[in-house]
Amino acid sequence: MSAEPRIPVPSPESRVTSPESRVESPESRVASPESRVLRSRPLREQIIRASGLVIALVYASVIVWAYARQPRTVSQMTGGLSATIGAYHVDPQSYNDGLQFFRRDQFIEARAAFARADPAERDAQTQFYIAYSYYREGWGRLYSSEALFAKGLESVNKAIALAPGGRLVVSDPNLQMHSADELKAELQRGLERDLSDLNPMRLFRTRK
Amino acid sequence: MSAGREALFLPLAFLTVACVGGLEPGRPEPFAPPPLFALVLAVMLFAALVRSGTLVPERLVHDSRTSLANANGAIALLALFGATTQMFNLLSPRSGLPLVAVNAFLFVLLLNTLVASPDRVRLLRSLMVICGSAFVLKFVILAGLSDPEGGRTKRVLVALFDAATLGTITQDPLPEISGYIAFVTILVYLVAVAALPGAGSAVSATRRLDSRLPQYVPPGGGSHEDIGHA
Repeated sequence: MSAEPRIPVPSPESRVTSPESRVESPESRVASPESRVLRSRPLREQIIRASGLVIALVYASVIVWAYARQPRTVSQMTGGLSATIGAYHVDPQSYNDGLQFFRRDQFIEARAAFARADPAERDAQTQFYIAYSYYREGWGRLYSSEALFAKGLESVNKAIALAPGGRLVVSDPNLQMHSADELKAELQRGLERDLSDLNPMRLFRTRK
Repeated sequence: MSAGREALFLPLAFLTVACVGGLEPGRPEPFAPPPLFALVLAVMLFAALVRSGTLVPERLVHDSRTSLANANGAIALLALFGATTQMFNLLSPRSGLPLVAVNAFLFVLLLNTLVASPDRVRLLRSLMVICGSAFVLKFVILAGLSDPEGGRTKRVLVALFDAATLGTITQDPLPEISGYIAFVTILVYLVAVAALPGAGSAVSATRRLDSRLPQYVPPGGGSHEDIGHA
């Protein structure tokens, strides 16, 4: 018969505690450094595991958000994330600058100021004004600029997507189209090519 | 396996690969979701990892573990699958004949790996070769052929090559940074896969415990009486 190594098991007698052993000595009340390390190890492990779980879940949420929203720049990413928690604000100074440029028909300057005011492209009203600036700059009595109208359509779609319920109305008396839907329809009409483009009455239409 | 590695390193490394694997800088939509075929390839590689003992899922999710540990393990497994999917997305060319050829090549290679049932070390070596060769093909050879920069001679040669292959080989030009991003992503993925809890590490841990066992056993085997007398 081979002598198999056996693991020592405490005997039933050894499990019975003697009366002496029940009395706590002053030394036993003070935890030794080894026992403290042993006791703190599972706690530290739990903390590492819990924090790892939280960090991984937050990180995974950010990745899912990035794939859903497709931010193109770092400022769009940070702005989008801060908008998710309600901490995103448009810069009022740059926004007012943009409005003044827009009213003076300085559309390139207006768009630069609006882009500065809303770097993450998260504000529906700012995106509406950017789309409107593309419309006004691209509008022509004989023909409209397709490239500018296409960019305008992209911006107005962004504005509609950002507006609550997709409804955006801007109460600016200097504008002739107050809703994003009107602006979108006008931009789409400008991009279409049909027989009505040959109508000489087109020369008498006005820019909105 | 340490809690730090299981709860922090593995999920974060795999999630980083899953995020950056689909990143295409300079495109209007810079984060590309994986195509369906990448999911198929990922399932095959996942199976190969398990069969080779590179990954033992029971060491990440099991009844004997606490719920928190199981949650960490499940996150690590999901992140591994996501990272593997995005790795194939990263390594596959975007269009044309190279896309079909590389996908077919990877499919046959992974099928062969599954049938051959290699051990952990061989599978890791094979994975390194697969990733390395696909990286060179996409980011060095195909990117070089599709590069619009260069002298007149090069552009003429590329145009001739494009015409000869009916435009099926050349790809959209890649930004220079994408090759570097891909290289680092592949490296992180391979390191993280090598750090997975495998059968090999379990065996070595058992051997370590076995080597310590005799010092606790008294000469002659030991018994309850021995302890009682002691």
